[in-house]
Formats: sequence, C-alpha cells, structure tokens
Amino acid sequence: MSEITLTVNGKQVKGQTGDTILEVCKANGIEIPTLCHMDGLSEVGSCRMCMVEVEKQRRAVPACNFPAQDGLVVTTHTEALEKHRRQILELIFTEHNHFCMFCEASGDCELQQLAYKYQMDNVRYAYNCPNLSVDTLSQYLVIDHNRCILCGRCIRACSEIAAAHAIDFSQRGWQTKVTADLEQPLGESSCQECGACAQACPTGAIFSKLSIYKGTHDDCEITTTICPNCSVGCELNVMTRDNNLVKIESPDLASDPRGTLCHMGRFDLLKPTPSRLTSPLVRDEDGELKEVSLDEAIKVIADRLQATKANAAFLVSSRLPQDLLTDFSELVVSKVGSSNVDTLDGDGYRIISQGVSRFTGNGTGLGIECGAEEIIGAEAILVIGADPQLTNPVIGSMIRHAVSDNGAQLLVVNPNHDVFPLRSRSWLRPISGSETALLMGLAKIIIDQGWGDAAKTSAEFRESLKEFTLAEATRATGIAQESLERAAAIYAHAERGVIVYDPQLLTTNDVGLILAIMNLASLTGNAKGKQLGVISLKPAANSRGAWEAGLAKGIDVNRPEVLYLLLSDDTESEVLLRRLRNTAFLIVQASYDSPAIHMADVVLPSLTWAERGGQYVSLDGHTQELKPVLQPPAGLASDNEILQKVSQKLG
Amino acid sequence: MAKVKIISAWLDACSGCHMSFLDLDEALVDLADKIEFLATPITDIKEFTPADLGIIEGAISNEHDEEVARKIRANCKILMVWGDCACYGGIVSMRNLFSTEEILDRYYHTEGSVCDKIPSSPELPPLITVKPINHVVKVDCYVPGCPPSAKAIGYAVTELFEGRIPVLPSEIMRFD
Repeated sequence: MSEITLTVNGKQVKGQTGDTILEVCKANGIEIPTLCHMDGLSEVGSCRMCMVEVEKQRRAVPACNFPAQDGLVVTTHTEALEKHRRQILELIFTEHNHFCMFCEASGDCELQQLAYKYQMDNVRYAYNCPNLSVDTLSQYLVIDHNRCILCGRCIRACSEIAAAHAIDFSQRGWQTKVTADLEQPLGESSCQECGACAQACPTGAIFSKLSIYKGTHDDCEITTTICPNCSVGCELNVMTRDNNLVKIESPDLASDPRGTLCHMGRFDLLKPTPSRLTSPLVRDEDGELKEVSLDEAIKVIADRLQATKANAAFLVSSRLPQDLLTDFSELVVSKVGSSNVDTLDGDGYRIISQGVSRFTGNGTGLGIECGAEEIIGAEAILVIGADPQLTNPVIGSMIRHAVSDNGAQLLVVNPNHDVFPLRSRSWLRPISGSETALLMGLAKIIIDQGWGDAAKTSAEFRESLKEFTLAEATRATGIAQESLERAAAIYAHAERGVIVYDPQLLTTNDVGLILAIMNLASLTGNAKGKQLGVISLKPAANSRGAWEAGLAKGIDVNRPEVLYLLLSDDTESEVLLRRLRNTAFLIVQASYDSPAIHMADVVLPSLTWAERGGQYVSLDGHTQELKPVLQPPAGLASDNEILQKVSQKLG
Repeated sequence: MAKVKIISAWLDACSGCHMSFLDLDEALVDLADKIEFLATPITDIKEFTPADLGIIEGAISNEHDEEVARKIRANCKILMVWGDCACYGGIVSMRNLFSTEEILDRYYHTEGSVCDKIPSSPELPPLITVKPINHVVKVDCYVPGCPPSAKAIGYAVTELFEGRIPVLPSEIMRFD
C-alpha cells in the first residue's frame, strides 16, 4: 500500500492505493450520496447515486467502485451530477410503492433521507404501480417487495456477512425481485433468520416483525451490550424507548465475525414474555401461593435452610453474571455449608472437564480450547455431536464462512443427519454411540500413515490405541474404511484444523470421547501455542464463568429436603421439572410465571437480562460486560440484594 | 394592500392538509388580514373565480377531479399543491395496483356494502388512473407531507408573500 494524491473538487486529498474514490472522499470528509453502498460489503455500483466526474473519462463514473489513482482529478458535485441524482431518486420513487406514511422504515430510511436532501417535492415520471407480493411467512422477517429498490445490500449481507447465501435476485428487468432459494417464501427456505439482511436494508423492504412501528433510531436510546442467550457472547445494540425494548441490531455488522448475530440475539429477546413475578410468594396451609413481604419470605427460607443445612441443594442458571454467581456461591458454601450445588448445564461441564483434565494431566481446564475465530481460518473443520446452526448460530455462520470463503473442508459426524447439508465435504454417519471408535479410527489411520506425531497424544490414549484395529473401528461405526481414510486424510493434511463439539448433543456420556477429541487435535499439531484446535459449545451465556467459578459441582442427594433454584429469566427443561417434582421443599427465584413456580413453596422475584448488568465469560473465555437497558419494575429488589438478605438472615 | 385572493379545493384526499392549514392557529389571525378565500371546501364554496393563488389538496382520480384542477389552474396566477397525494399520488394512488373493476367489485360486493350493486348513474364521474396534480396541469410550488405540517404550510405561504416561489428546505420537508 502506498499513498496517493488526488484532486477532488479542486483540493488535494490523500488516499491509499486500492481505495475507491468513495473511500478517499469519505476519509477526507467529502460527502457523496450512496444507496447500494454499505461499509464492509462488496461494491456493485448499481444505484448510480455516487456518480462523479473524473477528468479524461468520457462520462461520469460510480465513485464506489472506481479505483482511486495518483493524480486523478475528480469533481463530486456539479449541476449536472446533482440533476442526475435527483432524477435517479424520481425514477426509484416511481418504480415501486415508496409512499412513506405507512412504511415501517419511515424516519430510518436512506431513500427518504436522500429525497429530503434533494428536496424532491414532485416527480415528473409516470408511476409504474406494480402490485408485488409481501412475504410474511418467516417467523421473524417480512419482505415487502413493493418497498424494494433492488440495491442488493441484503443479498450481499446474506452471502458476505452471514455466509448463508439464502437470498438472491430472481427474474430480470421489471420483474426482478429479491427471493430466497428458488423463489421460496423466506420462512420455508434455507434462510437462517439471522436478520443481517434487515439491518442492511436501506428502505422498508425487509424488516423485523417484532420491532414493527415501535420506533426509529432517533426515537430510541441505544445501549451497546452483549447477548445473554448463548455462549458466543455477540455484541448487541439494544434500542429502547420509554422503558420498552424496540429493536436489537449489530453494532458492527460487517467487520466483526460475531457481528452477523442470529435469531436468538436479534429477535428472540424481543418476544413477548410470560407474566412477570413482582412479589415474593409463600405457600400457605391451604396449599395456595400467597403474596408476602420480602422479609417474610426470606425468614421462611432461612428457617428451612437452617434446619437442613448441608442437605440443602442449590441449582443456578448459567445465564447470570459473575457477581450474582459469587453471591450465590457465598450463600451456598459459606452460609449453608452445602456442597450440593450445580448449574442447569452442569452435566456438560463435568464431561468436558474430566476429559480435559485426563488429557492434560494437570488443571489446565477450558483454557486449552482455542478462540471461536480460529474456525474462520481453519482448513478443516470436524463437527461432532454438535449442530452449531441450531444451538450457537453465529458459530454456524463462522463455519459457513470458512467453507464458502476460504474453501475449508467440513467433516460432519452425526448418526442422524448432516447438520451442514450442501456444505459438508463428507458426512460420516456412525452407529449412535460409536463416535469414540470413529475418532480412534481416524487417529489410528493418521498415526499409521505417519501424518501425525503420536508422541503428542496422552499416554492413556496411546495405550488404548495399541489394541485398537481399523477393522474394529469400521465394525463399531458401520462406516467403510475408505471413508474413514478419506476423512483422516482431509483432517490430517489441513494446516489448521478445528474440532467443534457440543457436550449436550454427544450421544454418549463417555469421557473417552472428549479424550479422543483432544488427542486427535493434538496428534496433527492443530495447536496454537498452548491451545488446541478444539471448541466445545457451551449452552448458556455465562456457562464458562459459572463452571469456572466452581458452581457445577453436582448434586449428590437424590431427594433433597430443600432445593433452592435461582432460575431468573431462564427457562426450565423437562428434565429439570422432573427433578423439581422430587423435592420436599422448593424455593424458586424467577422472573416469570412458569411450571416451576406452581411447584414451589417459596417464590422470589428476579430481574431479567435487560434489567441487570455484570460480567459474562464467553465460550472461548472472553470476559465481557452486560449492561442494563431497562428499569426494573418499581420496588423490585435485585437478585444480589435478595441473596445477601438470605445470607444475613442465616448469620 | 389588497388582500391576496385564494381559491382552494380538495380532490381525492382526506382533507388533512386543509386541517393542517388551520393548525397555523394564532398565525391565522394575522393571515386573515392578508388573504381572502373566494372558494374553498372549508366554506363549501365551489365556484372558482379569478384569484392570485390556487391551492389543491389530493390526487386526481376521476374525470371531475381533472376538470376541477384545470378550472383552478385557469383561474389562478400561482398554483400551490398540498400533501403527498397532490405532489406524488400518495396513498390514494395505491388504487392503481388494481383494475377499476377489481376495486369496485371489492368495495360493493365482497366487503359487505349496503348497496349490493355498483352505482351506474351518469352523474358519477368515471374513475381514471390516479395521478399527482403536475401530471395534469402545471404546478408552481409543492408542499409535501402527509399531512404537511403547519410549519411547512406556514413556510410556503410566507415565502409567497415575500415574492419567492417556495421550495421546502430539507429540514422542513417530511413525507409522513
């Protein structure tokens, strides 16, 4: 890259080789109107709003994709260019339905802004008035083709940001429209519902059902925080108005690999919630839950805990921030003296941590796993016992990027279905529960072929491979030897390989499988410093933080006398509900009415993700800050206050 | 100074723009000394006589609208149009997405009208493709908005009194 000097509007300005005229002008504070351009997306130059005059060019050129060169003489605003721009606006306005008064995007619309800027108070052309369809079949998004200006930003966002390649132009000329797959409704297509297209849309052609007519950017307060849903920890811009959630967008759609967001972060947080619990409740002699004061409820709880002491069990959601988990731990360990404490996702942790510690032989812990961004640069990716597009969709999008942009070879191991159809290089379909044999088979091939260094694996694993034959692997998995050999070659020959697994989706609770994953990764030297090319998908936003804080010890007693469940705004699984039914005295601290509440003997109210702040640890170990975006209902004590009060009462 | 003579009409519209004019509130008191309506739907006078300023709200959507627009144009020196319907076609022009037959059928048959057949009196003007005013007669100045704010109307009127043809500045211009 070297510096170049251009003359723009008679002034000398500097840029870099490789810049476009638009980039140089932007960097130098010279404004050129654009519509189809969006920072971070490739340029198509289709809207022609950014046309500029360049000396020695026969006619005006689009600034967005004309390379800036040393000595170029550019004029951005002449009478002819401005006339041309206004004419383009008039043509766009007459092409489809662009009447603003009932449009969702009015006030946030780039087309509208430009029409104001060019004082477009009339149009000279006849209206086209096509009657186009509106696609409302998606759970989250609406495509109103009548509002579309065919700039293609959604299409580029879908392929370049989300790597989903779900939408594109169909038909030609007047008939052109943005459609999913082969003109399928969005909700029935390969669309991943990440919503990147809606954020990229400059008009009201693609918008979210959950935010419709709730407010424009100018109406709202915008807070940058992190997503409280899964463990990827994507940054969110949460828009609020009058203490209501309005819309969630990505603060950095284009350049942050986690910026694409997913339906869980962008939409699910805005869904209607069950009715809110605002008062402590205690079950009376008649078996009815009665509203009581916080002090009364705390007295009941403290008396019970005092009586049961170490036999009390504690369960906490991993959706909660560090400081709250610390307060919870303080109550459990120091005040009650119980070691019966677990997170809702503790089973997954115990499998991972046993596997990791048996592999390393020391307490390295989860720090041995690599960062999620490693996926993007990987040449081979092995997805085993995981469905990232379902559980952690942004990891899913990173894998799609690796495959479609960087040509990564994707190996899917799954007994039931290919979790990346059309993208996987190979789908290995082992008999359910035989995944360990499959990985050992791969390791065997890699060692036998001399593709990997057996000395890097753990002694235990080497020992177990001694007696292991390929014939055994094919017999156990039901996969032909050639398929295993092909997969082993792909994985072993990759400069960088990453294995992605999900402790919750593994079909076997075998620690040996985690061990095999770790060893396979170390065998081929897929390591960066002390980290292995392995990522485990943790379920909740602060799973890793809760696990590392020692809250996933596990509950020993089968039928605890007292169970204290700090659920907050998490949801309870069927498994959890069965467990709750088996409890003599149940305390539930939760934000919303739910089946658990109806089993509880004491209910305490809780704040929601939107009302609290605190630190969260992402799946790959980044500590990030969640910020409160809403005021809690008046008079509601925070969860920390409640826990501290219970602790105090216990003395 | 003689009062400025104005003739105004609303065509295919909701009357919101004229209501927005009334939203000028106390400014109307001063304005009343300077202007005089010869014909306006506010007073229900519909006979147009020569005037200085013509004002039209609404789009043209039948032959009668076309005739009124031509009459006003012929009787005024300057023609100002109010609102998105008059400037661009607006919400009423969404009728153009369907054929006249479809619209009438929907209105009188499928949507449960009190009369079950499409009226066919020769006094009723035939519906035509909905158009903004400037697609039929020459327009001198435009005040878009749905409805235009009182501020936008006030700006346009003040500019006219100053002897300039108003073009709404970007800060005042709104389409909704």
